[in-house]
Amino acid sequence: MAELQENIQGLGRQGSSIADEVQQTVREKKPLTIRRIVTNEYLLHVVSVIAFLLLWHQAAASGFFGGALATPWQVLVRFEGLMTDTLAGLTIWGHIWASAQRIFLGFVLASALAIPLGLFMALNPYVNAIVKPVFDIFKPMPPIAWISISILWFGIGEPSKIFIIVIGTFVPCLLNSYNGVRLIEPELYDVIKVLGGKRWNEIIQVSFPASFPAIFAGLQISLSMAWTCVLAAELVASRSGLGFIIVQGMKISDTSLVIGGMIIIAIVAWISSMLVSGLEKTLCPWKRDIAGL
Amino acid sequence: MAYEEVKVKKPLSLILLPILSVLTFFAAWELVVQLDIVPKTMLAAPTQVGDLFVAKLTDPNPDGATIFMHAWVSAREAFLGYLLALGIGLPLGLFMGWFSVVRGLARPIFELIRPIPPIAWIPLTVFWFGIGLWGKVFIIWLGGVVPCVINAFVGVRMTNPTLIQMARTYGATDWQIFKTLCVPSALPMVFGALQIALACAWTNLVGAELLAADQGLGYLITMGRRLALPDMVVLGMVAVGLAGAAIGVLIDYVERRLLAGIRR
Repeated sequence: MAELQENIQGLGRQGSSIADEVQQTVREKKPLTIRRIVTNEYLLHVVSVIAFLLLWHQAAASGFFGGALATPWQVLVRFEGLMTDTLAGLTIWGHIWASAQRIFLGFVLASALAIPLGLFMALNPYVNAIVKPVFDIFKPMPPIAWISISILWFGIGEPSKIFIIVIGTFVPCLLNSYNGVRLIEPELYDVIKVLGGKRWNEIIQVSFPASFPAIFAGLQISLSMAWTCVLAAELVASRSGLGFIIVQGMKISDTSLVIGGMIIIAIVAWISSMLVSGLEKTLCPWKRDIAGL
Repeated sequence: MAYEEVKVKKPLSLILLPILSVLTFFAAWELVVQLDIVPKTMLAAPTQVGDLFVAKLTDPNPDGATIFMHAWVSAREAFLGYLLALGIGLPLGLFMGWFSVVRGLARPIFELIRPIPPIAWIPLTVFWFGIGLWGKVFIIWLGGVVPCVINAFVGVRMTNPTLIQMARTYGATDWQIFKTLCVPSALPMVFGALQIALACAWTNLVGAELLAADQGLGYLITMGRRLALPDMVVLGMVAVGLAGAAIGVLIDYVERRLLAGIRR
């Protein structure tokens, strides 16, 4: 609907008279009543955020939770301090960088392995017959269950954390690139056949571009999985990273550190997912809606 | 039936290859350990894991519970968290999809909480609930409620607008439209949410138990690491994987039965 309106507006700017009429009917204003003001979505957004912060403040200040909840203000002050002070030798930026680096390495490694493999599996029944059953054995195993064995294998250094991220992101990447190719409408292949294309043309001109949106959906899922994995790995054993911040807060009973860490995680995770969708928009501007895949 | 099923004959090699590949996988795993290519302190052979499984059926040592007690504790936590997530997440998502007041109020809070991985709540949960049952239920609930809300929300938003306009023309109230149009048309998405939430619940359960637990399958894995018993770690992983797969199949079956008439 929003897209339609944009189109209509775009036409309007060009000065087409029919579009102007359409725009007028679309943009008809409803009368401004109190009921409409009160139920305005943006106003409600503001109300709800303010209510949330107030409730949080009250709950923390009233001492109902004891020391187990810091007020929003305390959290803010704590983090202003951490911008310049260090925690275990790193400022907050250092910790963010440590986590982001792990995610980036694991994410790139996993997608570089999983996406081509998924495409191969979808395009070649023999590859599929060999890889799929083994993959199906590993699929239902939560990546976090691998933490223990990765520590046994790689110790508690960087490799074990990157291994966990690779494991966690591998599954959605592979599944989505596999399904992305398999769910392509056969009509598209027929077009290539009618135009006299070879199997190779089918793969390059249909399979790859048509599976892009699904692959990117997989990357988004992978990314949130990667955050879960890196946090879990850092919670279990690490000396840097955002997971370390919150587990440190838990150990020294510093709630403002824990909550602040969670907020930073939310912000950084959100930014990273924005980056992926930005990449998606540049790489496949024709993106279709594939909800329900 | 309106159409006849076309049976495509699979080449024999495509039937045999999957079996061969699984067999090769397990054989390679067994050999790698038995021939000491990978040290025994790092990986246990499938046969060792099998032996330990048989032993753990009755023997609570060295981690304090038999495998079924661990599985039962984990299943109870996962189930409670999952049910709570469905009970709260689905109605919230459905209401958010149709009623703009609910959407306006709930959306910012939801968007604030959504990007935080449930694992990150563990420290706070330990402060609030301790390491008992409810802490883990809370973590699982957090993990499960997000996909429930999103899917139910999207499901309602995807309702065919023509149907809504038609209902309005016939004078249906908001509530009637919600009840008779939006909810049924959101059902396939809701069932998608059941699957996703379950997978989330299972992942987060293991995470929660890694950090704060004294029983459960995740705890079994952690103890295996602490005691440097790779067979116990692998047993825990296999148990978690098998249980997850079993529940997945179950939900798939229920979904197919319930949604038999709905076109996807």
